[in-house]
Amino acid sequence: MNRRSFFVMFLCLVIPISLLVGKTIELQFWTHEDPNRTVIENRYIEEFQKMYPDVVIKRVTQSSTKIQELVLTAFAANQGPDIFNMSIEDEYAYIVNQRVASVNYEAAGYENKEALINAYLPGTLDPVVFEGEIYGLPLEITNWCILLNKKVFKDAGLDPEKDYPKTWEEMVEVSEKLTIREGQIITRRGFDFRYPYYLVAFIPMVEQLGGKLISDDGKTAIVNDEAWLKFLDFMAAWGPNGLNLGSPTYKNARSLFNMDNNDIGMCTTGLYQLARIKADNPAFYDSREWMVVPFPQFENAVNYVPAHYYGHYYMVNVQKPKENQEMAWKFIAFMLSHPEEYLDKVAIIQPTNELLESDTFKNYPYSDVFISDLEKSTVVYFSEYSAKIQSLVKEAVESVMLSNASSRDALNALRRKVQEVLDDQY
Amino acid sequence: MRRILKKGIEHKKARWGWFFVLPSMAFFAVFSFYPIVNALYTSLFRKRLLSLRPPTFIGLENYEYLLKSPDFWNSIKATFIFTLGTFIPILVFSLLLAAFIMSRKRFQKFFQMAFYSPAVLSSVVAAAIWLLILDPRGLANMGANFLLGTKGVDYKWLASANMVRFSTILVYFWKYIGYFTIIYITGLASIPQSLHEAAKIDGASGWKDFWHITIPLLKPTTVLVSIMSMLQCLKTFSTQYLFTQSGAPLEPINVITLNIYNTAIRDHNIGRASAMSIILFIIMLFFTWLQFKASRSGGEVDYM
Amino acid sequence: MKIIKGQSLLVDVIIWALLIATALLILSPIVFMFTASLMPARDIVKMPYRWIPEELYLDNYAQAIRGNDGSYIYPRNILNSFIVAGLVSVTTVLLSALTGYGLAKFPFKGRNLVFLLIMATMMIPFEAIMIPLYLVATSLNIQNTYIGLILPFLTNAFGIFLMRQYLITFPDEILDAARIDGSGELSIFWRIILPNSAPAVATLAILTFRSQWDNLLWPLLISQSEEMKTIPLYIVKFAMEKHTNEGAMMAAASIASIPILILFITLSKYFVSGASLYSSRKG
Repeated sequence: MNRRSFFVMFLCLVIPISLLVGKTIELQFWTHEDPNRTVIENRYIEEFQKMYPDVVIKRVTQSSTKIQELVLTAFAANQGPDIFNMSIEDEYAYIVNQRVASVNYEAAGYENKEALINAYLPGTLDPVVFEGEIYGLPLEITNWCILLNKKVFKDAGLDPEKDYPKTWEEMVEVSEKLTIREGQIITRRGFDFRYPYYLVAFIPMVEQLGGKLISDDGKTAIVNDEAWLKFLDFMAAWGPNGLNLGSPTYKNARSLFNMDNNDIGMCTTGLYQLARIKADNPAFYDSREWMVVPFPQFENAVNYVPAHYYGHYYMVNVQKPKENQEMAWKFIAFMLSHPEEYLDKVAIIQPTNELLESDTFKNYPYSDVFISDLEKSTVVYFSEYSAKIQSLVKEAVESVMLSNASSRDALNALRRKVQEVLDDQY
Repeated sequence: MRRILKKGIEHKKARWGWFFVLPSMAFFAVFSFYPIVNALYTSLFRKRLLSLRPPTFIGLENYEYLLKSPDFWNSIKATFIFTLGTFIPILVFSLLLAAFIMSRKRFQKFFQMAFYSPAVLSSVVAAAIWLLILDPRGLANMGANFLLGTKGVDYKWLASANMVRFSTILVYFWKYIGYFTIIYITGLASIPQSLHEAAKIDGASGWKDFWHITIPLLKPTTVLVSIMSMLQCLKTFSTQYLFTQSGAPLEPINVITLNIYNTAIRDHNIGRASAMSIILFIIMLFFTWLQFKASRSGGEVDYM
Repeated sequence: MKIIKGQSLLVDVIIWALLIATALLILSPIVFMFTASLMPARDIVKMPYRWIPEELYLDNYAQAIRGNDGSYIYPRNILNSFIVAGLVSVTTVLLSALTGYGLAKFPFKGRNLVFLLIMATMMIPFEAIMIPLYLVATSLNIQNTYIGLILPFLTNAFGIFLMRQYLITFPDEILDAARIDGSGELSIFWRIILPNSAPAVATLAILTFRSQWDNLLWPLLISQSEEMKTIPLYIVKFAMEKHTNEGAMMAAASIASIPILILFITLSKYFVSGASLYSSRKG
């Protein structure tokens, strides 16, 4: 303790002095935990510090479910980090409230804004454009497809290559065949929805049927009741009071899938999952007893809508001194100059045209399935209120799946609550 | 002369009293009073966490909004269901268990440790264990099916509204029953042995002794336990938070603190979250006052 | 000592049975944690649950200690939890005893108001004050230090309440006798009050330790480097993340629980001896 407090006093003295003396720039870089990224980014930090000996970069990781609180509290206290990244739904409020800096194009190595836009797959920077400026650079853009276990299919007498579900109706049929129960308790699920992520993985289902969460002018909640009711009926039929094919309270399937324990047939996930299978269960990965298929559509869908994509963008705190901001963009650009390594080691896609056209990407297993969905996909709904709206959609789906509420009542409650959020903005 | 002397002593005592109290008061000033006052002040403004614009003063509008909001009333309901459902069983069972343990000649230590052991696990550890147990394929369903003689029934521990309420209460009860048993044991031990002996000489039986001697004399401990457990229940957060994070429906267990947290952290609406905190604060103050009052009506000023 | 006297053999047997059954029920989730930590993930969700692992599968432990990123930071995080919870227990006991003594034995103007104000601090939820608290901490520049982890918890209303309740019945004659003997007030506190409050002190220390051991939200905000994190943060990061298997999750949980369980088993005599000390003073 004594040594520690001495150390703290020492730091309190030394940091201001060294700042006065002048040259060192310390950059706080907060990000979510991802072991594969930590390894390569620590190396980038080392290399970068060698290139700029007067820069010190402190990389801090937090659990991905907890980083929102940490960043938010720090910013609320005007003590935010220099660099951070979160999912766009969480980051958007920082742009709207002018807490982050627009990209310093030169520092990031681009001639101007157009050069930056042209370097990326069209549309992938849209979520961070605000009043004509760009406020972040994508660490990853992710869309979800369906990952399936061929052994489970074969075990149920199905041919995965032919019988994989193309529509949601087929999803029900196939899942019914894959499901094993002991009484009411499911011991092998055919398919697991990705429950907490309603905006990414469920709203597209509504949109396939022609419905919308919020009208295009942003003023009215819930467009096209019929589409919504059909979607809610579908979910109610899926749940424990209907066909009993699964529910949000079963352990989510992504990690179970990697274990290959004959307890899950299919799950919703992104390309990054492949790297995790490789790490968790190399034998299963190498056996290639798994495959990726596109996001299903409803039989009578009026729009083709794959899962929405979401992104993580690196952002820079606008309250930091100009030289910190400039150095932060230089460092971000330096990290992002390794998209192939990010793909190879972490299996995340940085949507630069250069990467998407590279052989590394094209040779990556099932990258064609993901990219074909991604090209048709639109970005997830994001606003300052998206987290709240997502929890309202969750509430509606849960009430029909678990509490036997009628789809009509659930929809009316959802409309009222979302409308209240929209009205509250003005 | 004597009076002056006495006054001098009192004066000196008062000075020492302040001296003993002062360090804590200074501490609370910085780490409790300032934040409370800050929350009260913030509750009168429309303020968003990330906004750099100065917050707008709106008087009691946040309170008005809350009192009209069905969502907030649902939270009040969820909080009271949880509090009553937890606090009364804890009070009764911790006293019973403490009395049972103290009535044993052997293994006192073992039972105390066994009952207390869940309390030493961190909440996140407890949540990790219970989420596995309450999974449809977990021990909870197996145990319930075994005990109730059913087969393959899914009791929907985390899914149906009533069961998820029950599960939060169960986890909380499991975690804290030992804690309050220990406090009761300290209280039971403080009852002078001579009183029990006197009662025995007067011919009081075991239960009579328990009702007429033990329970009244335990009053200070009961006040302590009931206030503590009630306040803790009203402030409950982590179990509900972790359950909803793992797929349990929010509405039945959307207790006030969880609502405060979501309003502040998820919706960035710090003004409204502060107003909610102040309302919760007033509710707790009221119930604490009520319990003090109830405990005093017995006339045992000495013990409280 | 015996609270319920004169019970029949039947009552005796019922009480034993109830105690044993309750103990088994309360302990079963903990036993589940330890056994599951020794199984590969596929066995944990198998119905019916096998309480005795077929083989000792120690990979889970290796994975839990190694961490997702191979940094082996967990032992350090465990040490941090001990340091923080230990120091907070010491300061809480000292400050609470001091204040509780002041409130119990020294009449002064405004004493009730002071007591009320202290009690009131129990009633504000942490979620409501974490941002102002964070502002205080950053203005003191104590982020990412032990001081920062400890400072907001130096004492608490519960501790003061407990000590006051305990000391209010302390015989005044003993204090007056000491004063007549010429002891100073501080020395009375140190030599008479503290040693004679052993049961309350032990209880308070243990309960404080427990609540700090559990603290998640404040360390989350204040500890930024891996070296300054505590157990709950590590568990949330390691076990609550999507891609960790249940076996490793339970192993991380077991590692977090073993030292504290050992500590409490070794300290258990203070529960009992503390209680009997209390009764012998009064009896």
